[in-house]
This record gives sequence, structure tokens and C-alpha cells, in this order.
Amino acid sequence: MTLPGGVHAETYAQDRALIRTPWQWLWFAAFVAVLLLLPFLRPGGAVGIATVIGITLIAVLGLQLTSGCAGQINMGQSAFMGVGAYAAGALAVHLHWSFLMTIPIGGISAAVFGAVFGLAALRIKGFYLALTTIAAQYIFTFAMLKLPKEWFGQSEGLRMDPAVLGSFAFDTDNRIYYLVLAFAALMTYGAWGLMRSRTGRAFIAVRDNDNAAEVIGINVFYYKTLAFFIGAFYAGVAGALWAYYVRYVQADQFTLWLSVWYVGMLIVGGMGSILGAIVGTVVIRLLQELITVVGPQITDLLPTLGGQFVFAAMNMLLGGLIIVFVIFEPRGLVHRWNIVKESYRIWPFPH
Amino acid sequence: MTSLLSQVANGALTGLLYALVAMSFVIIYRSARVFNFAQGEIVVVGAFLVWTLMSAFDLPVWAAVPLALLASVLLGVLIERVILRSLVGEELFAFVMVTIGLLIFIRGVVLVAWGPEVRFFPAVLPMAAVKVGALVFDRAMVIGGALTLVVAAAMSWFFNRTQLGLEMTAVAEDHQTALSLGIPVTRSIAVAWGISGLLSTVAAIIFLNGKGMTFLASDIGFAALPVALLAGLESIGGVVLGGLIVGIALGLASYFLDPIFNGGVAAVFPFVIMVIVLLIRPTGLFGWKTIERI
Repeated sequence: MTLPGGVHAETYAQDRALIRTPWQWLWFAAFVAVLLLLPFLRPGGAVGIATVIGITLIAVLGLQLTSGCAGQINMGQSAFMGVGAYAAGALAVHLHWSFLMTIPIGGISAAVFGAVFGLAALRIKGFYLALTTIAAQYIFTFAMLKLPKEWFGQSEGLRMDPAVLGSFAFDTDNRIYYLVLAFAALMTYGAWGLMRSRTGRAFIAVRDNDNAAEVIGINVFYYKTLAFFIGAFYAGVAGALWAYYVRYVQADQFTLWLSVWYVGMLIVGGMGSILGAIVGTVVIRLLQELITVVGPQITDLLPTLGGQFVFAAMNMLLGGLIIVFVIFEPRGLVHRWNIVKESYRIWPFPH
Repeated sequence: MTSLLSQVANGALTGLLYALVAMSFVIIYRSARVFNFAQGEIVVVGAFLVWTLMSAFDLPVWAAVPLALLASVLLGVLIERVILRSLVGEELFAFVMVTIGLLIFIRGVVLVAWGPEVRFFPAVLPMAAVKVGALVFDRAMVIGGALTLVVAAAMSWFFNRTQLGLEMTAVAEDHQTALSLGIPVTRSIAVAWGISGLLSTVAAIIFLNGKGMTFLASDIGFAALPVALLAGLESIGGVVLGGLIVGIALGLASYFLDPIFNGGVAAVFPFVIMVIVLLIRPTGLFGWKTIERI
């Protein structure tokens, strides 16, 4: 990637830095300030939307690592999320553990469940693998509804108390927003770092050609399992946060349809890039919110369409977007953004 | 004992119905190298087409069913023309994504066009039950089972013995190679989607005959998935056997395991069998073994 004119790395520390120019620092500081001040700038609905975006972002980042970076198509992300939510929920409800313990444990439980499918990925490839991960969804729903009622509450689900730190309870929208924001920032930073590391490069090698990767000495079995492990860990953390946000865990919240939407967000944002996961999640979630707001007004104007129109329009829009992106811009919005960035950085020179 | 026998026999018939849906997956896969995630939605579109022609337009069966079949063939060809033609030779990932997009899109279109209400699907096939000794069967399912066997035989012949079928098989091997041999890849894909649309509507008629339905009937697409994967995505004869295996296993599972788990085993058991078989044979029981080169 080209840097703005005149910016050169003179030390290794500079070369490794994520933020390199004063302008980047300025924009980054402004972005962080907006995120931190959001509850004061736009109280009410915006905070709730931002919280849901944050939770979704963590799950989509995980999917980006498994599918976009390591090339293992995963249609079970929502089931992995559910495992995390149930694990964290059960520990919090039955053993009254702190969220500082339950959220990581929720992530690890999901990661172990996900890694089982990673083990399968060594032998099962391509379409067969994508379809095998759908089995995760069916097994998850069945297990949660059939395991003993004392564990996961079967069809009644689990009711949770808010997360508590000392005497401080995350029980309002604003408070849970900051909790989610902290986790989302941490997980994004982790994903960014991972992709710049040896592991991230190994993922890309496995994605591009797993036979070639094996030949040049990459342990394909290890990295495929690891890709599922890390991706499912992200999903598990997202699920645990979701459990603390809605304070209710039930198998019906984690559907195959949700996994399909997550894949859609990746495609629109851009496969294989962390920024792509962020852009895709934010754009699709905001579109959903827009339709939820505008939809009823359209239904008022044209009553023949009926109340289901909103949900239907959302599907048509996202489905249409995915198809258009695959055909015309397979590398997603983030690729467009990179082109724009390259051209303004070298402006006014052509190259 | 009769109850066990009845569970197994009815399971086998259900398995054959799944095999019919699975066959529409397999036909697209083995002639276009695309796995169509949206198959379940196409089944629903076929079902609503029949419903619209018979209940809303009051057409008789002999006119409505052929018209619906024709429309579903056209739908398949339309999908090829609009979406898949521009993706010939692309990577596997593009096809996964585009059919997922299609899945979401068609669900939206179905909801806008027909809404979420429960509709009563007309009885195209006779409703009276078939009795063999002490066993009772749904007549539509019996006809469907027989039809599955006939269609499977016809499709095997088509793909293994005719010029067009063999050309389509070559496309499944590799788009680029097929193109360089002068095989019209787009025609092959269009024919495959047409046949698959046709089979989907037939499956919808058998599955929903005289029952209530909503857009959620598309779940049959995912229910048929284990059958297709178990058999291997390239084998048409294998699908019938896969359907029988899954169906009979379902019958046995619901007889022996349902009392332990309070029901619900039927939804998950085929997937468990599928994962186990795939771990032992990664391309299913009868799928093609591909040699990968760097």
C-alpha cells in the first residue's frame, strides 16, 4: 500500500506502526471521541443500534478470519455464537461467576465446538465443508433444546442478571454500550494484529492454495483448525455479550438465517480484510435500521403491501446487493475505498 | 412391530422425496460446478406458482401443472441468464456467495409476492391413503417415490449416454477446459438450471399435496442436504441410495430415539450421519475423487 508522499519508515518501529501520519492520528482521535461520546451526542435509539453493531461486528470479524482470511467457508457462525451465549449464560446463572470470567469462557467453549469442524476441514473441502458447517446449526439447536433443563433451560432458555463489576451494574443501554465498545475495540485490535502476524500470513497461504501451502512447510491441519478455533472464539464472545445485552438466551435467537446474513455482510464489505468486516457490518446494519424506520411509512402510503413488506424488502435489498457485489465488485466496498484512497494520496499526479 | 415397520417404510418414502430435491442439487452441481443454496426457495416458488394457477386463477389441474412446470423451467433459465453467465470460470467462493444472495433475494420476492399467510395447497394428486397389509401410506408420497426412481433412471441415462449429457459432465470438471474444447458452458448451465427448476416444482407438488404451506416450506432444501452430501454431489443413482439410507435411518431413529429425547431427532439425525460419512469419505459415498495439483 502506498503511503502519502514524503512519509518513509526509518526505523522498524515506524514500519510496524498502524497509524503513521498526523492526519491519521487526528482522524483516529476524532473517531474514538465520537464513539466514546455517542451516548451524550445522540442518546436513545442510536446507542442501542451501536451496541448491536458492536456485537455483530465481533461475530463478523471472526467469520472474516475463518472464511475471508483462511478461506474455510463457514455457515455455522450463528450456532457458534449461540454456544458462547449459552456457556456464559449458564455459568452466570448457576454459578454466579463474574462476566470477566464468563465472556472468555463462553468464547473458548464456542472455539472448541468450532474447532471440531476445523478438524473436519482437513479432509472435507470446498462445498462439502460449507455444507458440513450447516450441520453445526442443527446439532446446536437440537442439543440446547434437549440437554437437561437444569443446565440450559431447554425451550424456556436462560434469564440473566446484568453484568456486574464490583458494585457497578451494566444495566442501562449506555452502560452496556461501553462494555460492548471495549470488547469490540479489543477484538478488532486483536484481529488486525493477527492478520499482520505469521499466523495471518499462514491463513492467507492456506486460503490461496492449501496444497501449495503444505509443500512450502505450513502445517495446514494446524492452521485450518486454528482458523475455526479463533473464528468461533470471536463468535462465542459476541454471543456472551449478546446474552448480557438482552439478558435472555434462547436457541431461537441463533438461526441459520443469521449466519447467512453474516456471510452477506462480509461480501458487501470485502472478503479478507478486517476493515471490510467493519464496513460491511456497519453498512448492512444501518441499512436494516433505515428500512425499519422508512418501511412503516411506505406501508402507510401503500397499505396494500402489508406489514411483512419491511422484512421482505430487507431480504430483497441484501440479496440483491450480494448478487450485484459478487458480479461487479467481488472484492467489496473496501476495495473501492482503497482505490479512492490511492488516488487522493498521490493527487494531483496520475501515478 | 407393525409400528416399527411402518416408521421404516414411511421413512424410506420420505427419503425418496428428499432424494428428488437432492437430485436437483446434484444436477446443477454435476453440470455447472455450482452448489445451489437457493434450491429450497425455488421449491417454494414452484409451490406458489401451482397454488396461484389453481386457487387464484381457477385453472384445472391438467392446465395448471404443466404451466407451473414451464414457468419453473423458465425461472431456472432466467437465473442462469441474469446471474451465472457472468460468473463462468470464477472461483468456488463466488458461486457460494451468489447462490446465498439468491437465497435471501428469492425469500424476499416470495414474501412480497405471496406474503407470509398459510395457504392450502390444492390436492393435485389423489389424497386417499394406500394400504398394504397393516401399513398405511400417503398416496402422494408413494407416487413421488416411484417418480423419483423413474427420474433417477432417466437422468443417469441422460448424463451417461447422450451427447448433451456428456458435454454437461465435462463442464462440471472444469469451466475453462470445457470452453477450450468448444463446449458451450452457458448452455450446459442453462439446461441444468431448467431441469432442476422442473424437479423442484415436482417435489413441491408431492411434498405439499393437499397440505397447508407457508414460505417456510423452503426448509426442505436444507433437509435434503444430507442426502445430497451423503451420496456425493456428482452421483444421480447414488442420491436414490442416499435417500433410502437417510430415510430408513430416520424411521429407525424416530422409533428408537424419539422416546428418549422426547421427539425432534428427525431434524438432526440425517446431519449426524452425514458428518460421520464425510469424515470417512470426504466426497460422499459415490462422489468423484478429484486429484488436486498445485
